[in-house]
Amino acid sequence: MLKYLTGRNQQGPGHTRDNADTELPSPGRRGFIIGMAGAGLTLAFARSPLGLANPARAVADGAFEPTVWYQIQPDGRIIVNIAKAEMGQHIGTALARIVADELEADWDLVELHHVDSDPKWGYMVTGGSWSVWQSFTPLSRAGAAGRQVLIEEGAKKLGVPPDQCRARNSRVIGGGRSISYADLVSSGNISRSFTDEELKQMPIKPASERRIIGGQTRALDIPGKADGSTLYGLDASLEGMVYGRPIIPPTRYGSAIKSIDDSAAKEIPGYRQTITLEDPSGTVPGWGMVIADSFHAANLAVDRIKVDWSAGKTAGVDEQALLDRGRELIGTADQGVLVLDEGDVDGAFSNAADTLESEYITHGVLHFQLEPVNAVAREKDGRWEIHTGNQWQSLILPVLSKALGVPEDRIVMRTYMLGGGFGRRLNGDYAVPAALAAKALGRPVKMVLTREDDTLFDSIRSPSVQRVRMAFDDDGRITAMEHHATAGWPTQVMAPGFMAEGVNGKYDPFAIQGALHWYSMDGHRVRAIPNDLANDTFRPGWLRAVGSGWVNWALESAIDEAAHKAGEDPLEFRLQRLKAEGRNAGSAPNSVGGAARQANVLRRVREISGWGEEMPADTALGVATTYGQERNMPTWTACVARVRVDRESGRPTVEKLTLVTDAGTIVHPDGARAQVEGAALWGMSMALYEGTTFRDGNVVDNNLNTYTPLRMRDVPEIEMEFVDSTETAVGLGEPATTVVGPAIGNAIFAAVGVRMREIPIRPEAVLAELQKKADA
Amino acid sequence: MAKRLSLAVCIFLFAGIALASWRPPPSANDERDQGKFDPALVKTGEVLAGIGNCSTCHTVSADKPYAGGVDFPTPFGTLYSTNITPHPQQGIGSWSREDFFRAMREGVSADGSHLYPAFPYTHYKNVTDEDLDALYAYFMTREPVDHTPPENALRFPFNQRFLQWGWKLMYFDPEPWQPDPAQSDQWNRGAYLAKGLGHCSACHTPRNAMGAEEKDRAYAGALVDNWYAPALDASQPVPVHWDEEALYQYLRSGLSANHGVAVGSMGEVVHRGLNRAADDDIRALATYLVSLSGEENSTEQVQPAEIITAAQQRADTDHSAGEMLYVGACAACHYNAADKPMAARAELSLNSAVTAEDPTNLIRVVLEGIGTDSGTPVLVMPGYAALSDSDLVALAQFLRRRSGLPEWKNLRQRVEELRELHRQSQVTEAQQAGE
Amino acid sequence: MAIKFKINREPVTVDVPADTPLLWVIRDDIGFTGTKFGCGIGLCGACTVHVNGRATRACITPVSSVENTVVTTIEGLAENGHPLLETWVEAQTPQCGYCQPGQIMQAAAMLRDFPDPTDEQIDQVMSGNLCRCMAYIRIREAIRMAAGRLRAAAPQGNDEDREASHA
Repeated sequence: MLKYLTGRNQQGPGHTRDNADTELPSPGRRGFIIGMAGAGLTLAFARSPLGLANPARAVADGAFEPTVWYQIQPDGRIIVNIAKAEMGQHIGTALARIVADELEADWDLVELHHVDSDPKWGYMVTGGSWSVWQSFTPLSRAGAAGRQVLIEEGAKKLGVPPDQCRARNSRVIGGGRSISYADLVSSGNISRSFTDEELKQMPIKPASERRIIGGQTRALDIPGKADGSTLYGLDASLEGMVYGRPIIPPTRYGSAIKSIDDSAAKEIPGYRQTITLEDPSGTVPGWGMVIADSFHAANLAVDRIKVDWSAGKTAGVDEQALLDRGRELIGTADQGVLVLDEGDVDGAFSNAADTLESEYITHGVLHFQLEPVNAVAREKDGRWEIHTGNQWQSLILPVLSKALGVPEDRIVMRTYMLGGGFGRRLNGDYAVPAALAAKALGRPVKMVLTREDDTLFDSIRSPSVQRVRMAFDDDGRITAMEHHATAGWPTQVMAPGFMAEGVNGKYDPFAIQGALHWYSMDGHRVRAIPNDLANDTFRPGWLRAVGSGWVNWALESAIDEAAHKAGEDPLEFRLQRLKAEGRNAGSAPNSVGGAARQANVLRRVREISGWGEEMPADTALGVATTYGQERNMPTWTACVARVRVDRESGRPTVEKLTLVTDAGTIVHPDGARAQVEGAALWGMSMALYEGTTFRDGNVVDNNLNTYTPLRMRDVPEIEMEFVDSTETAVGLGEPATTVVGPAIGNAIFAAVGVRMREIPIRPEAVLAELQKKADA
Repeated sequence: MAKRLSLAVCIFLFAGIALASWRPPPSANDERDQGKFDPALVKTGEVLAGIGNCSTCHTVSADKPYAGGVDFPTPFGTLYSTNITPHPQQGIGSWSREDFFRAMREGVSADGSHLYPAFPYTHYKNVTDEDLDALYAYFMTREPVDHTPPENALRFPFNQRFLQWGWKLMYFDPEPWQPDPAQSDQWNRGAYLAKGLGHCSACHTPRNAMGAEEKDRAYAGALVDNWYAPALDASQPVPVHWDEEALYQYLRSGLSANHGVAVGSMGEVVHRGLNRAADDDIRALATYLVSLSGEENSTEQVQPAEIITAAQQRADTDHSAGEMLYVGACAACHYNAADKPMAARAELSLNSAVTAEDPTNLIRVVLEGIGTDSGTPVLVMPGYAALSDSDLVALAQFLRRRSGLPEWKNLRQRVEELRELHRQSQVTEAQQAGE
Repeated sequence: MAIKFKINREPVTVDVPADTPLLWVIRDDIGFTGTKFGCGIGLCGACTVHVNGRATRACITPVSSVENTVVTTIEGLAENGHPLLETWVEAQTPQCGYCQPGQIMQAAAMLRDFPDPTDEQIDQVMSGNLCRCMAYIRIREAIRMAAGRLRAAAPQGNDEDREASHA
């Protein structure tokens, strides 16, 4: 999702986006410096052209772009410094791979160093593969510059002209001899700089010469994750710290502590005290924090402490109220923002030969990132350190500044690996209570949320209500579609600077993406509506694929309904409408080919999934296709799900998922498969196994006893294919999540003839529909 | 209620003859001399004390062995075991051999008062002179512990010890058991151990309203001290009936691949009681106890592999909340290949805790877990007290379904009761830790 | 209360309340942070360690119940060397990696009981370990690869095996 945030940052006004611009190294303006720092050789983009005059000095002063730089040690190790959050996407490896390929480095000598964050890094947010791809050229140049310098140095040592030398596997080879990079760094005093013009002339290898990119090199972060040595936020430990466990109020907003009775906790060995957090930032109103010498003591204490709150106004909100409010908003014409209004929609409906109207529901989804949120905070010499795994430091730093009453530049967020992100750690709200507790106590506090706390405090994927209407002419052609979608809007609540401009106002692009489909139809209207009750009751979150997850559930189910209504093959019905004409023709560079590429993945999935073949009883294939998330940067995705429905229990069993993805150039095939595997299973898990509801202002499910994500035994056969392409590489981590749910729902309809319009699809609901159908 | 009334009637009847009930002490004999006990005899006594499982009931903490004070909640109030170390005042230091023999065989203390049948003299009457001598030697050579166990807290009229005289009249046959010449020596040896020191039926036989074993339901299974001692007679509901080898292995190691792991009271019997007993004696016990289930046990039995396969198939199509809990919490350790169930992986379709008529053992093990101190010394199972009552009910219901058995009737109530018991024991533990 | 056990071959004595979950003793008192906290109720497997060679969920195991046992964490397994650590890298299994030490400990214990596991056996035993990145396909693959290597390398045996061999 963040790739979209950063991707849009050149377009819009507002200082936030300008700041975001520093996300990428900008070598074109500054040049490149190579110089010795200590015994090692540092290679980096210069922070300013001034550094080019004296690279050694610039390197020594650290006057270089921090985002990516690398060093070659006298022992030959190549250390690539990364100021990014790692959460499973192997981002450091991705960046290092590009550099190492041009550098002709020995991959076994490449190491990552995830640097501590610091205000000097500028706008900090961790994107996905999009930023990797956008960094491709500058990073390639950085590698090539290194290679060129090392070849020149090597040529001198070997006594061979540079043009008769080449580099391979961390060695310079020429005249029948070779010398290692390690030896060159050990013995030389290398100092060079390249202007931006020189950098642009840097010879970049043709794709055929790549040895690391597109190959099966292993991710550098994996060994530490296997042997337990990788440090996550939960593993942070500071001298003199005490443990904190929050007491979370009955409502997300508006609660206030009236009194705390901790008398029963006082006898617990290690219990210290309970603090009422004073939060000027309003992030954690009504929170108490139990302080103890151990997390265990804090847990025991929480069970014995009685807190009397005045609860916020959402204390009574339940799922029904949230959905009802959604329906009410959809039913009120002036609510929300028109995102798209093309063609004569109203005319199409008034002249329609037939119409179809359906309501689709999705319930809340917990992030349930396996590492519950946590943070260690301390103040040292007037500077605040927050130790925690986080994806979007620059979003939370201003909040921390307000909470602590200190300027942002006095707050440092230390980088740790993330025990799962999925969007939860874009919202760094959990850093705030830790900081407040540390401030109140005047000593370091390690705050850990239990799983139950974590779910109560989660910024969940909002429940949604959607209404899709379609008008048909006499030939059964779709003449117009109206799509009304309402849900909690994460961007509105947490990052309003990233709202998008619609036809008649600003809207949360992440809450409606997916609706701007590539099917040709005359009239198309999309209305996005924030569910104010949802926004008030909980903090809606960005969760893997965000709105595309629920929007496509409605859209791709509705298209399927239309196909069946027309009596056409649902896959062919879609193909007929993916015309690549007009606004659906696509444009360079990202959406080249437009709907034709979507049609292509659909045709391909038809070929490999056994579409149209005879199936056993109560078993069928269902299809869905999406453009991933963002219309400007589509990942063309198609899925066929093979589902068997047990008529007795109503239980759908997914037997196989077949996925075809066109994500442009695949930088790392094995990594791409891993991302799609995970995303597809997420989609299936949300469609069948997850889902929670609200009761008394909070989510009902707080742990794995009742919240039941997909486990290994539920994994179906998965077959996937990537379209062989040299187009711009786009994201892979999320698109598959958007397509699996509707494919399953459509397969259920094909198998037993009942249309499921609510996610998660519960066996009882299928059973009830089957019963209704039998009764009818 | 009817039971209570008849009980009261009996009590008044007994009260009338209360005076007749006091038994004068045998001649006091203070000529004990610890040095006179043959070390070999003491050693034998130690093994016998293990078979009698004396320490379980008479030891509260390891630093005060045999000093008594273990509580026995009964329907009549709480009893506390006595100090049986040779402490002259607090213990049995002043007891003569005859005092000791009389207590063991007649349930009469050295001071002449009647002992409650929680002390299984009803079984110890069957112990030979030779073995009692060894036990006497063993106890008289223990470290005397100056410890006074709490007073019994029985409700009136059960706190009137003389009533025990009447109880004995009704329920106690002082005649010792005689070997059955029709049976093998091994069987007779096993019967002697089981009926005597082992007092197996004390736990495995249901008791009547007056706390006496129901003779006609011997070994039919009973709830004792909030552990369920499963049936050993022909009614035993285990899918795979015990055979001699399995029972021998179980009594020796605490593990049986086709039945389960000894925990709770039985864990103590195996690991702290029988662990010093000779192999021959364990085999003899197994021979005798297996014979309790009668002839049925020789009939064609379903093979474990079939049972496990059937259970796994039932689970595959279950998909209940309980099944999901099982997959998340249990299967990692309890799943077995059908053809090779492993004792340490306790196959739950065969497990006594699941197949018993009473859910107590299953609920307790799930709630409390098994530490190295409460089960087999090498196995640890964590406790799942963090699961809700509803979760535990769903899980237990699933496990019964998985085994093809009907739902336990009193399940939810038992879960709530045992949860409360667990909570109380944790509070007690926490308080002890605080001290 | 002082409780003694061995962890990764070293004897330790910890003085903590008896009901302290083993997880926090391992992480916060002893300092092996490879063992993770996920759900706290024994349903995700991120905290899996070996007690006497058997997989045990440390978050709900009171430290008192491991008195005199041998505890092994991912650090101990890694130090001794285990094919799972190699195959986990070869199959490029971890994504965020947080659950993986627990997955590996569970898998290592499983391979003792099921040296040649079927897919069904892997699924049944490993489904207790949640991977939120849903890297299940690669977890399975890495286990299969390691099982093959272990069988090829048999006979095997180390301290932990011996101490658990009774079972």
